[in-house]
Formats: sequence, structure tokens, C-alpha cells
Amino acid sequence: MNILIYKIVLGITVLLFFLPKKWIYSFALLLIISMCVITSWWAGSVLFGSEMQPLAFIQLAGNSIYLEIDKLSAFFIIIINFTVLTGIFYTKGYLKPYAEKKSKTEFAIHYFNFVWLHFSMLLVSMIRDGLSFLIVWELMSISSFFLVLFESEKKETIKIGLNYLIQMHIGLVLIMSGFLLAYFQSNASLGFEGVASFFSQHQPFLVFFLFFLGFGIKAGFIPIHTWLPHAHPAAPSHVSGVMSGVMVKLGIYGIIRVALLLKTDQLLIGEIIIIISILTGVFGILNASIHRDFKKMLAYCTIENIGIIGIGIGLFLVGEGLNNIPIMIIGLSGALLHTLNHSLFKSLLFYAAGSVYQQTHTRDMENLGGLIHQMPQTASLFLIGSLAIGGLPPLNGFISEFIIYNGLIDCLRQPGLVHSTLMMVALASIALIGGLSLLTFTKTFGTVFLGNPRKKLNHTPKEVELSMRIPQYIIVAFILCIGLFPQLFFIQLLDIVIGIVPAIKHTDVIAFYPMLDLIGIVGFYATIFLLLIIVVYFLRKLLTQQKIAVRKSTWGCGYVAPAVNMQYTGKSFSKSLSKLLNFIVLERKVYHEIEITTVFPTERSYQSHYLDFFEKTFLKPITNRLLYSMNYFVFIQNGKTHFYVLYGLLFILVIFLSTLFHLI
Amino acid sequence: MISLPLIIIASLFFMGIVIRTKSITSGRKGPGIFQPMKDVFRLWKKGAVYSETTSFIFQIAPSIYFASVLMAILTIPFGEYPGLVSFNGDFVFFAYVLAIGKFFSIIGALDTGSSFEGMGASREALYSLLAEPAFFILMGSFALFTGHTSFVDIFTSLHFGTYISYALGILATFILIMIAMIENSRMPIDDPKTHLELTMVHEVMILDNSGFDLGLILYATNLKFAMYGALIANFFIESLPIYISILIFLAVQFTFAIIVGILESFNARFRMGNNAQFIFTLTSLSLLIFFGVLLILKKIV
Repeated sequence: MNILIYKIVLGITVLLFFLPKKWIYSFALLLIISMCVITSWWAGSVLFGSEMQPLAFIQLAGNSIYLEIDKLSAFFIIIINFTVLTGIFYTKGYLKPYAEKKSKTEFAIHYFNFVWLHFSMLLVSMIRDGLSFLIVWELMSISSFFLVLFESEKKETIKIGLNYLIQMHIGLVLIMSGFLLAYFQSNASLGFEGVASFFSQHQPFLVFFLFFLGFGIKAGFIPIHTWLPHAHPAAPSHVSGVMSGVMVKLGIYGIIRVALLLKTDQLLIGEIIIIISILTGVFGILNASIHRDFKKMLAYCTIENIGIIGIGIGLFLVGEGLNNIPIMIIGLSGALLHTLNHSLFKSLLFYAAGSVYQQTHTRDMENLGGLIHQMPQTASLFLIGSLAIGGLPPLNGFISEFIIYNGLIDCLRQPGLVHSTLMMVALASIALIGGLSLLTFTKTFGTVFLGNPRKKLNHTPKEVELSMRIPQYIIVAFILCIGLFPQLFFIQLLDIVIGIVPAIKHTDVIAFYPMLDLIGIVGFYATIFLLLIIVVYFLRKLLTQQKIAVRKSTWGCGYVAPAVNMQYTGKSFSKSLSKLLNFIVLERKVYHEIEITTVFPTERSYQSHYLDFFEKTFLKPITNRLLYSMNYFVFIQNGKTHFYVLYGLLFILVIFLSTLFHLI
Repeated sequence: MISLPLIIIASLFFMGIVIRTKSITSGRKGPGIFQPMKDVFRLWKKGAVYSETTSFIFQIAPSIYFASVLMAILTIPFGEYPGLVSFNGDFVFFAYVLAIGKFFSIIGALDTGSSFEGMGASREALYSLLAEPAFFILMGSFALFTGHTSFVDIFTSLHFGTYISYALGILATFILIMIAMIENSRMPIDDPKTHLELTMVHEVMILDNSGFDLGLILYATNLKFAMYGALIANFFIESLPIYISILIFLAVQFTFAIIVGILESFNARFRMGNNAQFIFTLTSLSLLIFFGVLLILKKIV
């Protein structure tokens, strides 16, 4: 019954193209809500009830494809549904200014792709068969590609979109070769089953790292992260919220799914993942701290959080390699909780950033300032998101980082020099990441929302409409819930972890209850801390209400003619850091001196922007070489039709000859 | 439990001793030991001037900063007596609670839209982020050494036996003193008595704070010093009778204050550009502790 409704919902998405403009949004909303209800029902029954029988979905090439929901899928379904729901509610207000500019078809295409991004993400988490998994994975990439192209009137957007599309296809090829390699060397079917039986018979390294790279491109591990900082700023904010909040996480889903299948060599693979994740985390946040485009900053920050999640996954594998159940549980539950947390605060931050963009039409924080006076609620929402993403108590980011810290310290004490050293490095780097994100978010919040406006904007920004703020408040409620009552969520996570890792028995988890209590205690003290802040603030209010309070201009250290452009800028805020690490953070300066050719010389100009280290030193040289060598083959594409017919004939001839001589 | 009143007592005279030491070494008569606290009380009674640029952030920032320092103090144990807040991994909580206070003091400074205060805020953010790994490697090494992860368990099971472990204790004390100097923005990182706003770190951040808020911030600095003093004292308090350990605690605080005073009297502030290098040195020193622990545990032969 349910599956029939599911198929009907999938089918009627086409109707979006035939509806009048004003109904498109409501219909898309209806589709997404009904899809959320169906899949959340399934997910809920898996999470809280018993196992679910695979549902026959469609026939593909003679095989029937099943939707299989285990606890891992259910967990991701819940996250996807929540983020997409907040996204679609936010969209209504966000796209209002475009209502005149964009045609009906453009809207229909946009919403069609948004709905299909949602559906394909759900399908990715439910399908195990290799071929159909690749198809839905591709659907996910293509629908998000069209979503990125929403503002396609900008020339840059097309370029970024193509860049994204190409990178996603490299990822697809890697995943496909992983599946195929496993399929041909094992006797099981094409899909995760085949990968499992491959891992039980062979060395896992090649196949695992094909998957890791393929899923890692989506997730944004370095050095294959380069699409993120381009695509997220170019996409409209509800899309970047969903992309960064959940679509990127499906890369994590894929990695966890494959990692769970490993039978041998988990220790080494886990250590390699931890090393890559540490580098990813530090590199991501370091770049986030210097960029002036605040959506680019958030994109780099996503990379950083993927690093933290990766450390959790690595810990899980190291624990499995050491046969240490507590470390396995801590690692995996930390990774999953951080996945959930990140989907919450990152979508919140992207929505708040989108509200700023909608009101000011700029993503450059150096043009902004003082927005807290016009948009106090957006400012507070952004502030809460910043505190949460920095892992500060009493919000949710602290809980997942605390769990991962605990896992690292546990692992530190395991015998062997290598682990101890690696875990110590990981510990120090998470601390460094925490410090860097403090710098990043104080800079962003301070520059965008505090101080005085740095430039005169074309129209005065005002608070965005209620329908855009409500989804953000809902997210904040969840952030606070996880921060203050983490044990409620953690016990669910433990349940998920038992459900998906066969090595962990129920008895192991009972031995793990002290950890659960510990998480509860952390939540309790976080609450106390919140109360302490309130108490101090009210004491202060009580003691100062009788006193005189005067408002004067900011103390200018004796200077009597202060101007707004004398304020500290975001760039100068992070300048000393970027100077310190200028071997990774590459700054490019362009300086045009005045040319004295006429009597009245033109203005001189100075620009400086930061380049991505990996893009500049690895990807650009490779693609440039590739382009250069492709020049030699230009003669093939000569525009003469008869030549093209000849190529076809030649191809047939080659095939014929090679089969004749048993070459293929 | 017992650590909270002791730290508060120590915080009352700590800064006074620092100032007294400085006046003695420079041959001045100097103010009394309780003068800094009298200043704080005077400020608490005063009205305030707020900048027109500021928003509610500026109003709540000092309170949150103060609350975070108080919360961090609650995690500090006293010998074998745990602090009010004590659980496995509480040192992570300690560092992150302090970080939230720092976050608000930084955005409080940025809220004024001043060019100088942003400069101070940027430096404060940079220096504290660089000091963070040192603290975590230090605590991580002791967690590895003792097999425990809460302050009280770490301190009670630290038994200095071998020569290496004594060396570790001295190194750890040095690192903690230096972290305290960085966190409180004192010499050699920052000179609170400098007359030029361009060369300040912490002082310039609070240029616009006045009245009650300024009092809160100043007192929080005193508390923070006493808090780090208490952390250091914990290295020396073993399972001794309570009256002896209280004496040790007060002696350590006293010595710490004098060391700070002497450091500030005979040391010039580093050039701003060299500060980062200096703070990195602390990280490498804490790595030395880590290697020492590995040696003791015979992980490296």
C-alpha cells in the first residue's frame, strides 16, 4: 500500500511543469511533505520497531530493485527529511524577489529539481543494488547541478556548475569502478553485497579507496574538495543549506556503508582516514577563516566538519582493528551525532546567510556591517549557529566533539606507539580547529552584523519575513535540545550503532551505560552553565538599573573625526593568521600602479584574494597540462561530416579485427 | 567543593601582590595589596557610558565572559577533593567553557565598531587559538600517563617518582604559567600598562567598557589568574592533611603572583610578530611532556 503511494508521489512530480506559476510552490511543498511522511514513517518504524522487509520498488534490467531500510538508512532519512522540510519552508520567502524576474518554466525546473534532489537523496540511502544505486546517485548530482544553476544569468554560475558536474562524474566513475572491481572478483551480485563478499575474500585497499575517493568527492575530503567552495556560494541559499546540510553527508553515508563491510585491515585504513580527516579539518577551517565571501566561508567550514566526522569514522575502524568495542561505539556514534549536528547548524547558518544576501545583495562581508540593528533576529540566529558550529557549550556541537575527544583519549591509551602519537596529533588538531573556528566566526559575525555599515547599500535592509525565520527557530530548538538533553539522542544513536554493526552485541552496550550517564552529566552541566549566565546577567541588570547609563559615540582614542571606513575589517582581522601560515594560505595580490600617460591619471587599483592551495598547486597544473595535450588531437574534430562517418567505420573495423585475433 | 572559596580568596589578593612586586622591584612605594579589588568595587558602584554603535551583544558579553570564568573555576579540584563540576573529560569542558567567554568578549569588542578594538580582538583570537593545542597536549599526556580523564583523578594519581616525572612536573608548571599569561594577556605577550592602544591586546578590547561591566571584566581576570594558580597548585598538593594542603595552595598562589610580578618587571613585551612563534614553542614544550610520558610508559625505548 505504502509503496504504491510512494510511486504515485514520484510520478506526479511531472505535474509541476503544467501548473500555473503561483501553484508551483504549494504543489512542491505538498510533494515534499507527503514524501517526508511516507519515508519518515518507514524510518520511524525501523528506528523504534522491528526490522523491515525490503520493499519491491521497480524492475530494472530484469532484476527487481528493493528499497531496504536498516537503521543507518533510517537515520539518514530522518536527517534528509528534516533539512529538506526546513529548506522548502524557507524557500517561499527567499525566492519571492525572483518572482518577477524568472519565468514559470524556470520556477518549475527549479522546484522539480529540488523535489528530485530530495527524492534521490532518500533513494540513495535506501537502495543497495549497485546499478540502481549508481543511477540514483547520478540523479542526485544532476538535480543538484540544475539547482546550482538557478542564477544562470550570471556567467560565473555556469562555469561553476560545469565544474561541479564534472567533479561529480569523476566521483561516479570511481564509485562505479569500485562496484565493478568487487563484482568481477567475487561471485555475489553487483552492489554492496558484492563489495561485502569481495572484502571477505581479498585485500580491501584498492576497492575501499576507490569508494573513499568517490564518496569523498561528494563529502569534500581534501584534496578533492574543490567543488564545495565554488558551488555553495553560487547556489541559492536554501539549496546550499540542503546541499551542505545533507547532500554532502551522503558521501559520509557511503563511506560508513562501505566501512561497515570491511573484514580485514581496518586498523590501517582507519589510521589513514584519521590522517586525511585531520588534514581536511585543519585545512578547511584555515581557509574558512580568511575568505571574505561569507558563503564561501561556510563552504570551507563544511569541509572542516567533514574532517571531524571523518575522525569519528577513523576511530571506529581503529577500534574495530584493535577489537575494542567501546572505541568502536564512541567513534561511530560520535561521527553520526556530528553528522546530525552539522546538518542542523550548517543549514541554519546558510539560511541566515541567505537572509542577509536577500536583503543586501552581496556576499562580501567587507561591504556589510551593523546589520544587527536592522535584522536583530537573523543576527541572533546566525550567532547561535556560530556558537554551535564552534563546538561551544551549551549547544549541540560541543556534545559530538566531546564524544570524539573521549574516543581519542580512550584510543590514546591503547598499546602501541603509532596510535598514541596519532591520537595525540588528532587531539591537538581538534583543539586547534576549535580555536580557528572561534576566530572564523567571531570575524564573520563581527564584520557582518556588528559595528557600523561599511558601505551604503542600495536599499535599507530590514528583517526578513516570518516564514523564513520560523524554520530557523525550529532548527535552534533542536540545537538546544541536543545541547541540553544529549542523552535522549545518544541512546537512540547507541541503538542505531548496535543495529548496524554486527560485532557489537547488546551486552556490550549495557557495559557502555557509564558513557551514556557521562553524556547526560555533560548536558546537565551545560544547562547549569546556561542558568549561570542568566543569573549573572540578571544580577548585573539588578545592580545597574539604578545607575546612570549614557550613550556616546565610540571612544576613538582621542581622535575626533572617526569615519566608518576606519573600522577594523574582516580581512585585517584574519590577516595576522594568514601571514603566519602563508605557505598554505596563498594570497594573490594584483596591484596596478598609476600610468602617467595623460594629464589626469586614472585611479590606481589594488586587489587581493586567496587561492585554494590544492586547486592552485595540484588541480590547475594537471588540468592545464591536459588541455595542452588535448591540442594535439584537435584534428579529429575537424567539422567535416564524412570524416566522422569514417571514424565510425574505423571503429567497427578495429572491433572486428581485434575479435578476429582474440584480442578482446 | 573546597576549591571554589579558596580560589575566590586567592583572587582577592592576587593582582595586588603582582602590583606590589612590581612596585618593589622598581623602587616605588606602590599601592596596597587590596587596591585592585578596591578599584573593582569602585567600578561596580559606578554608572556606565555605552557607545551608540553597540547592540545588545555589548550588554551581555561581559556577563557571559564572567559566567564562563566562574563555570571553569567550578571544574578545578583541590587535591583529592573534586570541584563542583567533575566528570570524565572535564578538562575539555573547562577549555570550551573558557572559549565561549572569549567568543563573547571578542564580539563585544567588535560591537563598538572601533578600529583599535578590532585589532585587539583579532590578536586575542589568534593567540588563544595558538595556545589551545598546548593545553590539550599537556592534559592528554597526563591522561595517558595516569589513565584518567578528569582533573581530580589526574591530579590525585600523578605520583612523581622518577626523575623524568619531576622534569615533567616542572615543564607542566612552566607551560601552565605561560598559558595563564597568554590567556590573561600579560607580559611577555601583552603589556597591560602600555600607553599606546596600537600595541595592546586585551586592554584595547575593553576600551569602551565602563562601570559595572568593566568591573566584571577586571575581576574575571583576577579570577582567571587564581584559577590557573589553583591548577598549578594541584600538581603539588598530594594526599596531605587539609590544613597543610591549604597552606601549600596559598603558597603556590603567592609564588605564582610574585613570579608574574617579576616577569613583568624585568621582561619587555615581545614584538607582536614574534608572539605567535613564542606560543608555538609552548606546543613543542608540551610535546616534550608527551614524549616524556611515552618514555615512562616504555612506549619508546
